[in-house]
Amino acid sequence: MNEMLRLSAAMTVWLIGFSGTYGLQALACSRHWPADVAARPVLITVCAVVVGLQVLILVGALFSPSRSRHLQRITVALAATGVVAAVWTLLPVVALSICL
Amino acid sequence: MTAPHHTKPPQGTALPLHRALMRIWGSDPRFRGWFTTTNNNDIGALFLIVATGFFLIGGVLAMLIRAQLATPDSAFMEPQVYNQIFTMHGTVMMFLFAIPFFEALSMLMLPGMLGSRDMAFPRLGAYGLWVYIFGGSAVIIAMLMGLAPDGGWFMYPPLSSGAFSPGIGADVWLLGITSIEVSAIATAIEVIVTVLRYRAAGMSLSRMPIFAWFILVVSVMILTAFPPMILGSLLLEVERAFDWPFFQVENGGDPLLWQHLFWLFGHPEVYIIFLPAAGMIATILPVMARTNLLGYGWVVAAAISLAVMSFGLWVHHMFTTGIPHLGLAFFSAASTLVAVPTSVMLFSWIGTLWKGRVRMELPMLWIMGFFATFVIGGLTGVMLAVVPFNWQVHDTHFVVAHLHYVLIGGYVFPMIAAIYYFLPLLTGSTRFFKLGEVAFWLVVPAFHITFLAVHMAGLLGQRRRTWTYDAGQGWETLNLVASIASFVMAIGFALIVLDVAVNTFVAVRGRRNPWGAGTLEWAAAIPSPAYGFASIPIVRGRYPLQDDPDLALRIARGEGYLGDVRRNQRETLIVSTAQGTPAQVAVLPGNSVLPFLLAVVTSASFLAPLFDAYRVAGLALIGVLALSLYWAWGLGSRHDVGPVDAGHGAMLPLASESTQPPGWWGVLFLLLADGVHFGSLLFGYAFLWTVAPNWPPPSYLPPELWNMSLAVAGGLSLVAGSRLALRAITRGRASWPGIGLGLVGAVAMVAAAASVMLDRPDPAGHAYDATLWLLAGHVAFHAGLTIIMLCYLAARVAAGYTSPRRSGEARIVGLWAEFTALTGIMALGAAWLPGAFQ
Repeated sequence: MNEMLRLSAAMTVWLIGFSGTYGLQALACSRHWPADVAARPVLITVCAVVVGLQVLILVGALFSPSRSRHLQRITVALAATGVVAAVWTLLPVVALSICL
Repeated sequence: MTAPHHTKPPQGTALPLHRALMRIWGSDPRFRGWFTTTNNNDIGALFLIVATGFFLIGGVLAMLIRAQLATPDSAFMEPQVYNQIFTMHGTVMMFLFAIPFFEALSMLMLPGMLGSRDMAFPRLGAYGLWVYIFGGSAVIIAMLMGLAPDGGWFMYPPLSSGAFSPGIGADVWLLGITSIEVSAIATAIEVIVTVLRYRAAGMSLSRMPIFAWFILVVSVMILTAFPPMILGSLLLEVERAFDWPFFQVENGGDPLLWQHLFWLFGHPEVYIIFLPAAGMIATILPVMARTNLLGYGWVVAAAISLAVMSFGLWVHHMFTTGIPHLGLAFFSAASTLVAVPTSVMLFSWIGTLWKGRVRMELPMLWIMGFFATFVIGGLTGVMLAVVPFNWQVHDTHFVVAHLHYVLIGGYVFPMIAAIYYFLPLLTGSTRFFKLGEVAFWLVVPAFHITFLAVHMAGLLGQRRRTWTYDAGQGWETLNLVASIASFVMAIGFALIVLDVAVNTFVAVRGRRNPWGAGTLEWAAAIPSPAYGFASIPIVRGRYPLQDDPDLALRIARGEGYLGDVRRNQRETLIVSTAQGTPAQVAVLPGNSVLPFLLAVVTSASFLAPLFDAYRVAGLALIGVLALSLYWAWGLGSRHDVGPVDAGHGAMLPLASESTQPPGWWGVLFLLLADGVHFGSLLFGYAFLWTVAPNWPPPSYLPPELWNMSLAVAGGLSLVAGSRLALRAITRGRASWPGIGLGLVGAVAMVAAAASVMLDRPDPAGHAYDATLWLLAGHVAFHAGLTIIMLCYLAARVAAGYTSPRRSGEARIVGLWAEFTALTGIMALGAAWLPGAFQ
């Protein structure tokens, strides 16, 4: 079971980070967001944390070998996919209007 | 594990072993056997036949749609009828055909591919089948009575609300589909536990057949994608029945909540449908190319990443709902990204064809049809991911054409390939009549003519779901061409059904493994007997039949594991998850009418509310509870057996005497689905709190120290009590103090939940109050079930069904109790949270 959790960790973290960032953006555009807090720096910080987590997972996958070389390769491929997915899907926070 | 290769087998042992195993594993040959069988061959075949029947019904509905749209200003159908027909076409194809069809193939093929004698929970599989049959039949009968839903297969409120869809049509959809989703979840749990634990000796994860990876991924997706839909259906049904305003803007609801919940299910659903087909292609294509799959590991990684990414795409169905640009960009980016893992699979398959020597047999023809169609569907999908283009074609026939390219090209064509590929295994025959080739050349060109024309009509502005159109808009020729070609396609599909039926019943007997495949399912006798394998194979590679051409004979002679049938029970092997090392012996239950009866009362509990027969529904629920307890009571033993001889010198414990029995695994994955359901509920609450227009409500529920303390103390007592009970059972001591403490905790949680309901007595007043009732209802339901489970455990202890070895049931109760405590405290905390900051 640990092997399965290792395999799925990177993409699951991406999904949580991605959905969480979308939720945060919705919150930033809602009546609950404090008027004196700029949304973009908060969003960029959260996205940077998500990308950082993905990189950590990749490093962890590279340096903590599995009992199966085959599963290890799949884990590394998925961790690398997680990094690319996080950067690609969260990149819009740096450029686009947040609540328009 | 010892190697059997060099031991000289005794001659002539295969036939007596076959006869002995058939006595143990065989179904009742009489008519009642259809209702009592739990064997994967029978259940899978029934699933397949019923799903095919629903496919034919869906096809007839499609022809009615095309007949209506063939000419402008058509009077063929009234708009009310047309609305029912297109709604039912989508519903039947998505819920009654696509998912059950691959579940059928999984049940039929998976044990063979994995080297197991059956699925992990045969009775659960039978239960899933009958719930599906009853739920699906109810939906079809409603249509024949003119009571079908007519709000489109995604049932958007407010159109589907009581105000705009009076009558029971929408209720039929909501309750019927939910019961079918229960069936799908049951099957998914069975598949996951089977893939993870019920394999041949030595079959590590990296040696698993590629289809097993795909179906494992898909089953986890079902457990995580269906719960939001079940929650959405529950909310809409409760709104329709009791006026709880989850989707009514004026009372704090928001119809966009439905769209979020529906598409949280609906988009992964597309991949739930595509991935099993991709698994079939990855299985069949290398055999047709007379080589092995190129990039096995990459394909596994692509399947996992595609599955997870599919949960991050749901908003791309909502691009026109006024979402801010940043949100659009997130989901546009994610939608383009899924093209990457899909391409990895496609290039793996192209590379496999490149390195092999392709034989253009009928299964391969259909796979070529897949390539030609799915790639186009994928590319139009990328077009739809681009926001400005999506805005232009939203709700046009372009989208209709795109989804048919993906679903027919990406699912139906590979599944037809799979049927023809596995036909010798299923029937024991070699295909004799060649109608299939004719059908292929009818279906594929006709499909492209139909849906290229539909694409064009959409680009020219034809809206979907409109019952007719005026002449002179440039759509006449396109629609006429599409309709004529669609009828040709329908003739082709009918020929396929005829071809399969004729070749099943008439064709000549075939030989084992006619394609020369390397995977284990071809090592069984054809057609596969009820027991699957006479002994559990030992494998040393990904393609066991390539590595050891005599493996089939050795298995038949009983030279694998569990080849000794003297214990006279349905035994199969459980292995360690990662390495495939033999770990336990599972004793599977025999034929039983219980799954059928339980399905009857389950379906009655879902369908009775359609006719306002709430008392009948209540009685049916009591029936569900009583039969479930009776079912569970019949399992287990009153005495310890100890390790048994599994062959090859291995003494293995029975699964029922292990610390993590299969039931524990099943409950673990059930709780995954339950957890996602609970998460969806919290999401809905947060969504309404964040964006619903008529929030905040007039007042928030103020938290009070006594009820918060009650909830926390109740949760802690529940956890402590269940752990104490387990510890006492494993040490042979009295378990009643732990069980008693757990019961006190569960009652306290019910009381805390009741206090929320009593404080806000009108759930129909505002969506906030309705949500509080749901949160409290979640707690009360789970704590109530925990009370029943603890009482059941107490009865089992008293009756001698537990011992330090036989502690599995206490572990299962503990798992459930801890989930109840955790989600209960979270739910009540969420209910009180806004009031704390008021």
